[in-house]
This record gives sequence, structure tokens and C-alpha cells, in this order.
Amino acid sequence: MILWLLAGICFYFADTEIIALDPWHELLLIITGFVTPDFFATEYLFEALWQTISFALLGICLALFIGAPLSILYHKPLVATVCSFLRSIHEIFWALLFLQIFGLSPITGILAIALPYGATFARVFSDILRQAPTTTLQTFPSNTDRISRYLYGRVAHVLVPVKAYVRYRFECALRSSAVLGFVGMPTLGFYLESAFRQGYYQQGAALLILFIGLIGTIPFWGRLKLLPLYVVGAIWALPSIPVVDSRLIWRFLTQDILPPMFQSNQLQDALLTDNYGAVAELFRDFLNWLVELLCEQALPGVVGMLLLAVTALGMSHILAIIGSSFSDKRFSGKWIAKFNRLALLIFRSVPEYIFAFVFMLLLGPSMLPAMLALAIHNGALIAFLTLRHADDVPVSSHFNGRLDGYAYEILPVIYPNTMALLFYRFEVILRETAILGMLGIATLGFYIDSNFSEIRFNGALVLMLVTALVNIAVDIVSRRVLYADNNAQSACSH
Amino acid sequence: MLMLNNLVVSFDDNVVLNIDSLSISAGEKVAIIGPSGSGKSTLVHHIYELLRPTAALCSQRQGLVENLSVFHNIFMGALDRHSWLYNLINLALPFNKPQLQIRTIMDTLELDCPITQNVVNLSGGQRQRVALGRALFQQQSLFIGDEPFSAVDPIMGQRLLRHVFAAHESVIMVLHDTSMALANFDRVIGLQGGKKLLDCSSKNLNATMLKDFYQLQEQHPMVTKVEAYSKFNLVKQP
Repeated sequence: MILWLLAGICFYFADTEIIALDPWHELLLIITGFVTPDFFATEYLFEALWQTISFALLGICLALFIGAPLSILYHKPLVATVCSFLRSIHEIFWALLFLQIFGLSPITGILAIALPYGATFARVFSDILRQAPTTTLQTFPSNTDRISRYLYGRVAHVLVPVKAYVRYRFECALRSSAVLGFVGMPTLGFYLESAFRQGYYQQGAALLILFIGLIGTIPFWGRLKLLPLYVVGAIWALPSIPVVDSRLIWRFLTQDILPPMFQSNQLQDALLTDNYGAVAELFRDFLNWLVELLCEQALPGVVGMLLLAVTALGMSHILAIIGSSFSDKRFSGKWIAKFNRLALLIFRSVPEYIFAFVFMLLLGPSMLPAMLALAIHNGALIAFLTLRHADDVPVSSHFNGRLDGYAYEILPVIYPNTMALLFYRFEVILRETAILGMLGIATLGFYIDSNFSEIRFNGALVLMLVTALVNIAVDIVSRRVLYADNNAQSACSH
Repeated sequence: MLMLNNLVVSFDDNVVLNIDSLSISAGEKVAIIGPSGSGKSTLVHHIYELLRPTAALCSQRQGLVENLSVFHNIFMGALDRHSWLYNLINLALPFNKPQLQIRTIMDTLELDCPITQNVVNLSGGQRQRVALGRALFQQQSLFIGDEPFSAVDPIMGQRLLRHVFAAHESVIMVLHDTSMALANFDRVIGLQGGKKLLDCSSKNLNATMLKDFYQLQEQHPMVTKVEAYSKFNLVKQP
């Protein structure tokens, strides 16, 4: 109830005005598009699909190379801090940053996925490893070397959960890879955006259906044995890597990302001539610049993010409860439940970014599309996880199959679990609100995006740091609040 | 081989083991008996820690890795005989030579499941024999067992015991089956409430005496009844 109250208050303050000339007409066009999708309109359809997979695949492979060794060192505070920093910046922001350095090269896409995913792997693997039993080590011969002890005694215990997690992350990476198209990488998102922006809904619908199909069929084609084949194919299919001008990178690192007053050599000159007055002047300028940036962009951005995230959390809660109850076959009957489960699958496969984009076309730029997008995606995901739990809940023999029966017998059992999942998901929602800003919603992402497009990399970088700090702060607070809950669930929510 | 004096083991302020002196020499076959919670497991684990370089342990907590095959679980007994690289490759692509050796061990242990079968699907008795196989594959001179035959039938237990005796110079084993202890071992040690109340050659013992020993428990309620299986502190006093 407190959650709903909070969400209601935030909804009141958030900007939810519907600005659209004729949403119904547009909606009708979109629906027509989905009814009559045109699979042959996109010229490079197959290539786009394969690029999406190959970015995801190579990103995950590199992430494993980064994350697996780091998970052994994760107990060191420095490693944990660096990882939580890498993790707290969204893939799209990394992509925006690398775009400035490497341009539209595959390196940008792969690194943008590999860095945050690698950091996540490090944390989750170390969590999983910590749960491995230690009894096996006791039965080993006494002078077994350390690597063999580690491999056979600990890693072997957790291979199954680790495999399941990597598979789940691969699904996430496919979504991320598609979304990277929105910043210009040649993946599905790129063609999706251009199709929807130009109103070619038939083409866009075809792309979206293909994408959902791609994610829905992972169990059939995502086999471990085929992995080497896929990796070779992915590398072969990559667009050629343009030559990176090292001077450009140097200029980016030494000039572009510095605050404006430090970019020319004024500071060096002042230091060399011992002109401390000038140095102080420069630093005062810097301070003013920073304060202005923080007050005029970071603060409203953070407030927007929090408003959006809390409202979306409240809406996800409602959707998750409704979704999970109507998909329970003991309550709503076999067919409705099956249909609902399919709907949940579709809703959770589509990245919230794409949902927000479509809603934005319908409802105009306000926070409402973002709220709906976040709520639908996360609500469906939580409902799906809750359902898996609910299916194992036995009911008494006099269960009447009505709402009251459901509320007395099943809901009380699954509700605590649902709430825990919901709060774990809050971190993810917060991260996502930042990138939804790139669509024009007034969160931090909006300011970061505008800084990038105005070629003010210094400002963008400061704002990205603020985003990371907000995420880390929320992470710490939520970990304190939810410390007692088990790790298995947290693994699903990242 | 082993000399223990004033051994006190406590777990959360409860004394689970308090033994004045105990010596075991090489070549002896020693059975340790006593009611549940009398400190038998604690004692053999302690002895194992002291004699680790030359001892193989077959613990009640079998330490099997559920998702690895029978082959890999038994192979773990030989981890120290190969380099880490060999072990790593063997994890993904099992080598032929250890496969042959382990097939022989499986035959002696009457394990008729496929060598590639994952341990998670095995029955209780099969699991216990896989754990026993790991201990045998260590090829040490001392075997330390903590009820290694509790999940197999007594007749098979007898056959397995013969293999264990044949492969090891000395054997120290916790047993619940007192007749097996009397018939096969040189010496029987009886624990009661963490104290050693019985220690003599099996020639001087008979079944009635052991029955009387178990009934002692009813006359003297145990000082502590801590199941020290999960975690135990070792506090050895000089």
C-alpha cells in the first residue's frame, strides 16, 4: 500500500501529459502493421539479424573472459568497486562513449556489451561460487595444486547454475545488442528505428516479430556444442574494422573530456609562470561550471529518474500481480492461462526501450510512455518468475478456483517472493530510466544525450559519473534493506 | 604412526572429544565404535588432518560433485599425480589411461553404471561406492573411513571391506556394525560421550561385551550430544 501511495504521488508530480495529435489513428496504423507484417521490405534483414546475434555473442564471450577471472578476486574491495562502477553505466552510454573513440566500428558494440556484462558476471559468479560446498576439497589428496583444487572442488559444483546464468545473460545481450542499433550500430534496432520513425509500420512490425521469435527460440538454436561454429560465423560476419586514428583517441582523452577551461594550455602556462592568481581563477571557473552543470542538468535529471522509477515500480507491481494471477491455470482455466503466458513471453522479450519508443510515437514525449514501457516489461518479467514459483505451490482439495480461493491459498505463498523480486528489479528499472532519456524523457539520459550531440563530452562524462553514483547508492541502500534475502533470486534480476 | 595425548576437541563450548592418550601403529586395522554423537567422526577427521599426506579419507559427507560423471568423481583421488593442465584437459576430454584404471576400480566396487553417468542420478549405495572409489584411487598406505558401507547391504559391505584391506597397509574405520568390527579388525576402540571407554584387541572381545558397552550409555547419560558433522573446531592441547 505504501508503494502504491508513493507511486501515486510520484505519478502526480511526473510529467504525464499526452501530447499527440491523433493517437488513435497512429495506433490503428501500427495495429494494421502488425496484422500485415512485411518481411521483405527491409533490404538487409538477414544481415541485421546476424549482426545482432554476433554482437551479443562476441560481447558475451569477451565478458566471460573479463568476468570469470575477476570473480576469483571479487572479495578485494578495489575489484568490487571497479566492477560496480562498470556495471552501473548502461550499455548504451558505454556505446555512446566508445562511438566517440572508435566510431561506428564493431569494437564499439562489442566493448559496450562486454564491459558492463563482464562486471556483472564477476559479481554473480562470485556469489554462486560462495555457495559451493567445501566438503569435496576435504577428500582431495593433500598436495593437489591450487588450480586443480579450484577447478574440481569448486567450479565443478557450480557449472549448472553458471551455465543457466550465462544463457540468461545471452538473452539480455541480444536485447542490448538490438537496442544498440538506436545509437547507430548496424543491428536490428537501427532498422527498427528507421522503419518506425518513417511510419513504415509493416516493416517495423516484421522486424519486431522476428526479434521476439529470435529470443523465443533460443532454447532450440542456443546449444553449447554449436558455440564454436557461431563464434567463427560471428567474427566472419563482422563489418570490417575501420582504422582507428590514434591521434583522435589521444585528442579525446587529453582535450575533449576535460572541462572547457582546462582544454587550452592556460593552466599549464599559469603553472609554469607561477601565476597563482590565474590558476585560482581557472579553478573558480571550473567550480562554477561544475555547479551549474550539476544544478541545471544533473539535479533535475536525477529527480526525473527517481520519479519515473518509483511510478514504474508501482505500475509493475500491479501488472505483475494481475499477470501472474490470470496466468495461473488453476484460477483462470487452461486456455486463458496459456494465452496469457504467451503474452508475458512477448512482453518480456521486447526491450523496454523499444516499447517506450512505440508509446512515444503514440502518446507524445512525456514520462507516460516511459512508465508504461518499464511497467509492462518488468511487470511481465516478474509475473513470469512468480508463475514459475506459483506452479509449485500445492492447493488444498477444496480449492474453489475463484478469486477468493486464489487470494487465500496461492497469493499468500507467492507474495513475499514477488515483492523481493520487485525490489531487486528496482535497480534495473533505475538504470533503464537513465537510457530512456535518450528518447527525450527528462531523465539524466536526456541530458547526457544532448551533451553528446552538442559535442560537449566533458559535460556528458560528468553526468555519466552522476548516473553511476546514483545507481551505486541505490544498490547499496537496497542491499542493506534486502540483505536477508537469498542470492538465487538476485541472480535472476540483474 | 600416530600418538595422541590429551586431545580435547570442542565445538561452541561443548567438549565433543576428550581423549587422554591414543596410539596407532602402522599395519594395524582399527575399528571405532560407539553410539551416535559419541565423537567418532570428529576423532577420525582429526586423525586425518594429522596424517593427511599419506592418508585417504572416505567421509560420511561424501563430497561428490553432483554434475560430474562417475569417472571425474573417482579421478579426483589422483589430482595430485598430474599437472593442473592435465587435470584441466581431462575435465573436458577424459584421457584413456585413467578411464581404464577407473573402470577396474568400478568393477571391484561392483558399480555397474556407465562411467559417464552423472553422480546426481545415482542411488544412495552407488554414491557411497563412488566416494569409496575416490579414496581407493588415491593409492595411499592408510585408509580412514567414516561408515563407508552404511548404505550397502552387509554382504556387499564385507566384500568391499576385503578390497579396502587388500589395497591399504593400515585401516582406521568408524563402524556401526559391531559384528563386522569383531570379525575383521585387529583392534576395537569404543567411544562414549567423547571419552575412550574401550580399547583392546578384538581377540579379547565378544558380542556380549560389545552389547554391554552400548548399554553403558543408558546408565551414564552422555555429557554432550553434539552432532559435530557440519563444522568443528579443533583445539588440541599439548
